[in-house]
Amino acid sequence: MKNSGDKAGSFQWLLLISVFIVATCGLIYELVAGTLASYLLGDSVTQFSTIIGTYLFAMGIGSYLSRFLNNNLLTWFITIELLVGMVGGFSAGILFILFEQIVYFRVILYSLVMATGILVGLELPLLMRILKDRVEFGDLVSKIFTFDYIGALFASLLFPLILIPYFGLLRTSFFFGFLNVVVAWIVAYRLKKDIKHYSSLKWSAIICLLCLGMGFVLSDKLTEFSESLTYPDKIVYTKSSPYQRIVITKSAIDWRLFLNGNLQFSSADEYRYHEALIHPGMSVIKNPKNVLVLGGGDGMAVREILKYPSVDSILLVDLDEAVTKLFRSNTALMSLNSHALLSSKLKVVNQDAFVWIRQQHKKFDFIVMDFPDPSNYSLGKLYSTTFYHEVKKILNPNGQLVIQSTSPFVARKSFWIINETLQHIGFLTKPYHCFVPSFGEWGFVLATNSNETHDAKLPRNLKFVSRETLPQLFVFPPDMDRVESSYNTLNNQVLVNTFEKEWADYTR
Amino acid sequence: MITRRNFMRQSLQAAVGTTLLTPAFNACTSEHIITGKVIGPNAALGHRLRDMKFESPTQSKSTDVLIVGGGVAALSAARVLKQNNVSFHLLELGTEAGGNSVAGKNHVTAYPWGAHYLPLPNHNDPELIAFLKEAGVIIGEANGLPVFQDYYLCFDPKERLYINNFWQDSLLPHEGISLAEREEIDRFTTLMHEYKIMKGRDGKDAFTIPIAMSSQDDVFLALDKISMHTFLIQHDFHSEALHWYVDYCCADDFGATSRDVSAWAGIHYFASRKGRAANASDDTLLTWPEGNNFLVKKLQAYCQDEIETNALVYGITIKDDGVEVLFFDAKENRTVSYHARQVILATPQYINNRIFPQGKTVSQSFQYAPWMIANITIGSSLSERKGEQIAWDNVIFGSQSLGYVNASHQYVGIATAEKVLTYYYPLTGSDTTSERRRAYERGYDDWKEIILKDLSKAHPNIAKEITNIDIWIWGHGMIRPAPGLIWGQEIREVAASVDQKIFKAHSDLSGISIFEEAFYQGHQAAKLCLKHRP
Repeated sequence: MKNSGDKAGSFQWLLLISVFIVATCGLIYELVAGTLASYLLGDSVTQFSTIIGTYLFAMGIGSYLSRFLNNNLLTWFITIELLVGMVGGFSAGILFILFEQIVYFRVILYSLVMATGILVGLELPLLMRILKDRVEFGDLVSKIFTFDYIGALFASLLFPLILIPYFGLLRTSFFFGFLNVVVAWIVAYRLKKDIKHYSSLKWSAIICLLCLGMGFVLSDKLTEFSESLTYPDKIVYTKSSPYQRIVITKSAIDWRLFLNGNLQFSSADEYRYHEALIHPGMSVIKNPKNVLVLGGGDGMAVREILKYPSVDSILLVDLDEAVTKLFRSNTALMSLNSHALLSSKLKVVNQDAFVWIRQQHKKFDFIVMDFPDPSNYSLGKLYSTTFYHEVKKILNPNGQLVIQSTSPFVARKSFWIINETLQHIGFLTKPYHCFVPSFGEWGFVLATNSNETHDAKLPRNLKFVSRETLPQLFVFPPDMDRVESSYNTLNNQVLVNTFEKEWADYTR
Repeated sequence: MITRRNFMRQSLQAAVGTTLLTPAFNACTSEHIITGKVIGPNAALGHRLRDMKFESPTQSKSTDVLIVGGGVAALSAARVLKQNNVSFHLLELGTEAGGNSVAGKNHVTAYPWGAHYLPLPNHNDPELIAFLKEAGVIIGEANGLPVFQDYYLCFDPKERLYINNFWQDSLLPHEGISLAEREEIDRFTTLMHEYKIMKGRDGKDAFTIPIAMSSQDDVFLALDKISMHTFLIQHDFHSEALHWYVDYCCADDFGATSRDVSAWAGIHYFASRKGRAANASDDTLLTWPEGNNFLVKKLQAYCQDEIETNALVYGITIKDDGVEVLFFDAKENRTVSYHARQVILATPQYINNRIFPQGKTVSQSFQYAPWMIANITIGSSLSERKGEQIAWDNVIFGSQSLGYVNASHQYVGIATAEKVLTYYYPLTGSDTTSERRRAYERGYDDWKEIILKDLSKAHPNIAKEITNIDIWIWGHGMIRPAPGLIWGQEIREVAASVDQKIFKAHSDLSGISIFEEAFYQGHQAAKLCLKHRP
């Protein structure tokens, strides 16, 4: 008798632990859906509250529907567990993949939330009915709800503290689906005498586990496959070159180019950036002839340079052939840079700027350095005293050099480090800035070897830089004004270390 | 721009490392192939000295000065002779000169097979400063300090240490280390700094490079009689992390643990480097993708026509009118007798024992540490743990290895995924003879397994990212400054020149195997040789 008492006890524990796990899984699915919806669609308050509402409502439907299930309650319970595991487990993956492809994304989102909610809603009533003949009712209700709520608390703590930071959304979702199925299988195994189709349930469980396991392992690939998290607008072009991931998006108002997920321009306001990059320097050079552009493979800077008729040769050195090719061949993009990359005055060299410049002797009147921000040590080298020395060697005595220098508002110290680095090797500098809506406040440093000054001769029909606005660019309000800074060398890389901190603080 | 969405993606990617099922998944995929072999050095030729079976010479040559050996000391001597217009020849055993500073090259980069850096040089060896100017390493002077070529100063980030599942910056352990231990480490660095600025009663630096210019006060020389480990215990240093760090440093320069190295040598590691630069911080060092082979190539420029490779010297005899040197020319498979008026013997003392028995031979106190060096080609981007990005020097806490140096670090272009990691593994056991036997007995696959096991701690998927591993075993990698070696009587007797005809030059006569000492030994021997020209 003792033996069977033990059995009843362990049976009860098994089911209560499964209640606990089922409750944990249930809440996790809800949190995953809520989090995904707020990441993908924005407005987290609305997303979370509608997801939770829908989910709870769906659970109500599930509880209601449970009354229609009458025979083979145990088989039903296990089948539903398997289904919850599959639907819940795959929900995040499905949403990820479908976000880009489907216009009616919300329909899919809420259908999945409904389905998961209904299935989870079915679980507890079924379980209570299974247990009602084996456990005293008052005790049963008390225990089941206790474990249900503990599971909920457990999940709500686990989710933000451990799962999201260490597992990520996709893995979490697959993992709990997996757990759900494992519970179903264990219950089925323990009660196989009471179940008619144990073998078919077992095989279903194995197949479910395999699918979820595969999903778990391939989560990274799935994340790569879906870039939806990074881009707000419709993706019209993607390509991975040896150096970077190129993505172009299009919305009702603009085209955007992203390199490795970082915005390079928005067609709606890039003229502000590129006019500010080129004209303050270019317009004060007497008859500029030879121009060098380092970086800037999109051709926008070249477009502005071509507005000076005296220019007879432009050399564009950009690392990535994939970018320059794209902006030389795609009709829509060529209209953005006014076919600048097809100009007969232009020569394109696809080489690493630092490697290239060390073998240069030819001098230039105007040099544009339009590199990505110094966000890693490789890029930081292009902002070092050593690189500027090399640039100085190929700049004509009366020439001008301009450098895109990140945001003096967000990365104020970084901006002034660039200025200091140029001064350190003997350049005279004129820092300036402008406002580009899609970027924010943006900075540049103009550097030269001579203190000769000329009046600016601006081309006609500029949209942003004018005789009146030009002097204003050089005025820094107190919140972006000069700060004491060190200079950036290859062997200290202070710029990268500063830049990292400043942007991390800003985006925290 | 960093946006919320971007941040989200990054946190998803952060999950890359934390896999539960990855091992199981890896097992299912087709096996990844790593190519490579043990490529050097060719010990067979050198081992012919063991039985000394050579036919009698069929040819004879003569020269003014003959340099035996082709390492840094030999090349440094050659440079001085050349600058003084003395005619000479140099016999090198291997296929190229360079000693410990040889290098290799593949489609990614050049890489070292041994010594890979030079700390900023101290000012008390003018010959070294002069050479560095000739080599274009020092390009000027500002504020009374040398200006170094920027491309040769080690770029930032310089070093990182993998400890407690995290890549921290700096090799001094701090991540996850208790406050008490960190305080002990601070106390140690303060003490070492005191030794660094300390001077003896004779007015000389307590510890400097060249070693010969260090103070000879008894209080300092007494440190040569105890081991570095004893020194630590005597000064109440018990922190495990600190002991590891000191062991790491001793292995780095001496191929031995703190128990087998004298306290004088151990402190010398921390207290002797006082070089400064106008354009870099004091702790910066000079390095090249090919390591010190860069400097060796610059030295070779002085004796391009005088070097004869594949030449195994097996007998040196002092004669009335000079020295007779017998060598086996492996290229022509013949033995040659060389007659020289003077000889600069730039070979290690364990070799001199065999080839110059007439001279003073050395005892067991001259021990040489064996090393294994691997150059590891990484084909796809390297899987990383949390913490700092890849640096020049990357060390794993608690490992038997010294970690690896990124040979591609000094490349100025945008970093690509492919790189070569030079992995250093000293065999630090007390008994160098059995360690050496073990090093040779291990096969390529054994070494590969050791390397993968070690590096997998810090790079979980490295086994799939490596495309090639080549291995080099140095049987006698570097001299070990055991207690009593550096300031003992024997080393002085061995170093003495013989009959004003044979002058010795090798870093083992300093007791420390570093470029500066080898270079110093070389030009000192050459100058002595010039002084005693017949």
